Amino acid sequence: MSDTDQIKYNLLLVGGSPSNLALAHKLVALAKESNQKLSIAILEKAREFGGHIVSGAISNPHVIKKLFPNYEELGFPIEGVCDESFFSVMGAHKKWDVPRPLMPDEFKKEGYFVLTLSYVVSWMANQLKEVIKDVPNVTIDFFPGFSAHEIIYDGNNKVIGVRVSHTERPDDDYVYADVTVFGDKGFLSQDLIQKFDLRQNPQMWSVGVKELWEVPGDYRNKVWHTMGYPLLDGTFGGGFVYGMKNNRLTIGLIISLDSPNPNINPQQQLQEYKKHPWIQEMIREGRLIKYGAALLPEGGYYSLPSKFAVNGAMLAGDALGVLNARRLAGVDMAMECGYQAALVLHEAFKEGNFSQEKLNQYQKNLQGTFVMKDLYESRYFRYAFMENPRLLGEYLPTVSKSIDTGSPFMGMLKVGLSHPLTAPFDGLRVKSLFDGKRDLGPLAYKPCREHIKPDFTPPALDEDTHYRKDTIYSRPDAVFYASTKYHEENHHIDEFEAATCMQCIDTYDAIGKSTPCVSDCTAEVHRVDEIEGARKHGMSLENCIQCRTCEIVCPEANLRVNPTEEGSGPDFLGL
Amino acid sequence: MSGITDIIVLIKQVPDTTSKAGLNPDGTIDRARAKRMLNPFDRYALQAALHVKKTYGGKVTALSMGPPPAVEILLEAIEHGADQGYLLSDRRLAASDTLATAYALHKCILYLGKFDLLFTGLQTTDGDTAQVGPQIAERLDLSQVTYCEGFSIQNGKLHARRIIEGGHQDVITELPALVTVANAYHTLEYKTIRGARLAQELLRDEALKNQYIHTITLDDVNADPELCGLKGSPTIVAHTDKVGQIGGQCTMHQGKSADILIKEIMDCTNIKEFAKQ
Repeated sequence: MSDTDQIKYNLLLVGGSPSNLALAHKLVALAKESNQKLSIAILEKAREFGGHIVSGAISNPHVIKKLFPNYEELGFPIEGVCDESFFSVMGAHKKWDVPRPLMPDEFKKEGYFVLTLSYVVSWMANQLKEVIKDVPNVTIDFFPGFSAHEIIYDGNNKVIGVRVSHTERPDDDYVYADVTVFGDKGFLSQDLIQKFDLRQNPQMWSVGVKELWEVPGDYRNKVWHTMGYPLLDGTFGGGFVYGMKNNRLTIGLIISLDSPNPNINPQQQLQEYKKHPWIQEMIREGRLIKYGAALLPEGGYYSLPSKFAVNGAMLAGDALGVLNARRLAGVDMAMECGYQAALVLHEAFKEGNFSQEKLNQYQKNLQGTFVMKDLYESRYFRYAFMENPRLLGEYLPTVSKSIDTGSPFMGMLKVGLSHPLTAPFDGLRVKSLFDGKRDLGPLAYKPCREHIKPDFTPPALDEDTHYRKDTIYSRPDAVFYASTKYHEENHHIDEFEAATCMQCIDTYDAIGKSTPCVSDCTAEVHRVDEIEGARKHGMSLENCIQCRTCEIVCPEANLRVNPTEEGSGPDFLGL
Repeated sequence: MSGITDIIVLIKQVPDTTSKAGLNPDGTIDRARAKRMLNPFDRYALQAALHVKKTYGGKVTALSMGPPPAVEILLEAIEHGADQGYLLSDRRLAASDTLATAYALHKCILYLGKFDLLFTGLQTTDGDTAQVGPQIAERLDLSQVTYCEGFSIQNGKLHARRIIEGGHQDVITELPALVTVANAYHTLEYKTIRGARLAQELLRDEALKNQYIHTITLDDVNADPELCGLKGSPTIVAHTDKVGQIGGQCTMHQGKSADILIKEIMDCTNIKEFAKQ
C-alpha cells in the first residue's frame, strides 16, 4: 500500500448504527459461507461506537435472535426482559393504568427486551471484530471518530464515496467504495434524498429526551408508556419509563415536532414529567446518571423514499425512516433493513453489479418482511392525530383532568356528553385508521416547521408542587450529564443567513416569545446576543448534543446541523 | 529545498492519568495492570515532527522505549502520520533511571543513523524529570533547544523561540539539533483516515507491521547492558511514602444549579462545623 493511493473499499457504511452493524454482521456471515472477498469500512462520528446513540429502548427481539441465535452465550447486552407492561394516562397528580382488556396491543411489551441501545451498538461493533478473525476473506476497518461530510458522485451521478475531512491532501479526505450505505439519522443522507428527489413527503420528526437514573427501588422488567401530562397542548407525544437491571430507570419523553407550539422546550417538558408524584416516588432518593436527546423519524410509510437505493448507494434504518410510531418500534425495523440489505449486497458483490436496479432489489425484499407490512398497516397512525386535533387537544386533556379529580371514566363520559355526535364517530374513525383498515390513499405532509404557529399559546399546565427540587434539572445543568466534549474551532452548525435569524428574532420578540431554536434546543446551544443594539442569533456549540431539533424547527430552514468532527460531541454510552 | 530528510520523535507510553487501575498496594505503579496512554507532552513533539514533514519534507520516525505494549503508541503515531516506528524493548532495561534511559536511547538514535531534527516532549507524566531529552543531546553532542514554542527552518538552520521566565528567547542553531517541545504553538491535529486505516492494516498483517514497526533490543543497537536498567541507574529510591488516597474524603458537587449546589455543600457536616468555628 502506498502513501498516495486512493482510500477505497468494496463497502462503506456511513454511521455505526444498528442497521449498518446488523448489515455488516449478516454480510460477514454470508461471505464466510461463499468465500466472497470483501473490504468494508465503517465510519462513526462518535469517539467510540455507541457514543452518539440514544434510544428507549424496548424492542421485539426477533431480529436480534435471527442475527445472533446464541445471543445469551455471546453476552449480548440486555437490561431486562419485560414481564409487565402498562399503558397509562397521566393527570398532573395521578396516573391511570388502562385496564389490560382496553389496552392497545402495541403497548403490550411482555417478552420484549429492554435495551441500552448504545451498549448494543458498542457490543455489535466489538463482536464484529471477534467474528472477523475467522473470516480471512473479509477485512473491516473501523473508524470511530470519523464522520462523513459530503457525498461524492462520479460523472454519471453514481455515489462513489464520501468526504471525511478537509486537509491539504485531497487523497486523504475521501473514502471511496463500490457501494455506500447510509445508516445515519439524516445528517448526510438527506443530501442524497434531495439530489435524487426520493422523498415526496417530508419526514415527520419527533424529539426524544431521556434521562437515566439510579434509584433505590428495583423496577427491573417493568415498562410504562404514558400519554397525557405534561403533553396537554395538542402536541403528539408520550412518556416512557423502563425499569432496568442494577436499579436503573430510564425516563423519557417523546414530543412530535409538528406541533403548533413554537416553544416546546423538550428538556423542560421532561422535568415537568418528572414532577409527577408517580415518578417522584421512584426517583426521590435517586441520582441522575446521564441525559441525552435524539430525533425519531415518525413519518412512517408515506415519508419513505420512493427508492431505497440509487447507483452505488443504499439507505437503511433512520436514514430510510422505517420507525413505526404506533408500535414504538425502531430497533428491530432498522436491524431488519441491515439484514435485508446484506442479502442483496452479497449478490451484488458476487456479480460486481452496483446499479440502482440491482441494489434496489432490497426495497422489493423489504416489502415481503414485517418492516413494510407493519409500516403499511400503521400508515395512517400519525395522520389520525393530524386530521383530528380534538383527540389530543380536547379529549385527552379532559380525560387527563378527570384522572386527577376522580375517575377517567368521568372524563370519557364528559367527552361523550360534550361531543355527543362527533366523539363516537371520532372513536370509530381513529380505530379504523390505526388499524389501517380504512384506505385514504397516499397522504401529503407539511414539513414540521410549517406547523408552527408563532402566536400559539399552550394552556397553563397544572403541576404537582410536592416534587423534590434537586431531582429537577435546568437545561444547562442537563448538558453536564450529556458529557459533551468538543475540539477547538468546532463549527458544526451552519447558519446560512444572519439577517434571516435577526428577522425571526424580531418576529418572536414582538410577541414576547423565544425563537423555536432557542426554546426547543435540548442542550442550551442557541441564544440571542445583543450586539451593538441589534439582537442576533448566537450559538454555544460546545453544548450541542447532536439532536438536530433546531434544524427541523427553524421556521426559516436557516440552520443545518452537521455531524461533529474529530470524535467530538456528547457521550451517550450507557444512556 | 530545506534539505530535511529525517526527523525523529521520541515518545513514551505512560500510565493513563485518568485511571486509578494499576496501583500496587504500596502506591507504586503496576505497569502491567495500568491503563496506558501516550505521554500527553509527546503529542506536541509528534505534532512538531509532523509539522516539519508537512512544511519542509522528510520522513518521521517515532522511537520509543518500553515493554511490548508500547507498540500501541507507535501505531498511534502512525495514525497521525508518522512513517515508521522503532521500539526498544529489552528486559535488561527494566528500572532504568534517566541516565540509563538516555544512554539506551542515544544508542538507538546512533543505530537509526542520519537525522536532521530530534523532537521530544518537555517531560513525561509518570517521571516528570524533563531530563532525558537534554541528556540525549549531551550524549550525542547536539545543540539543544528546550522549551521550544515555535520554530522555522531557514537556510538549513533552525530558528527557534524558547519560553523563558518573563518572556521568550530567539535562538538560531545548526542542524541536526534536539528540540524539546512546549505545549504551545501547534494545534494538535486529529489523526488522518489514511493513518487510521494503515494502523488497522498493520494489526491484521504481521509481515506488513514488521515493515513499519521495528522492535529492537540492546544487542541490536550495540548498547552495554551494564549501563542500562537497574545496573546502569545510580538513582536510589530509598523509600516511597503513600500520601493517601486522593479524593478519599472528597465529594464532588457538580452538574446542578447554583442554589442546589450551595444547599448541598452547606448540608455537609464538615462545612457546618467549619461555619460554627
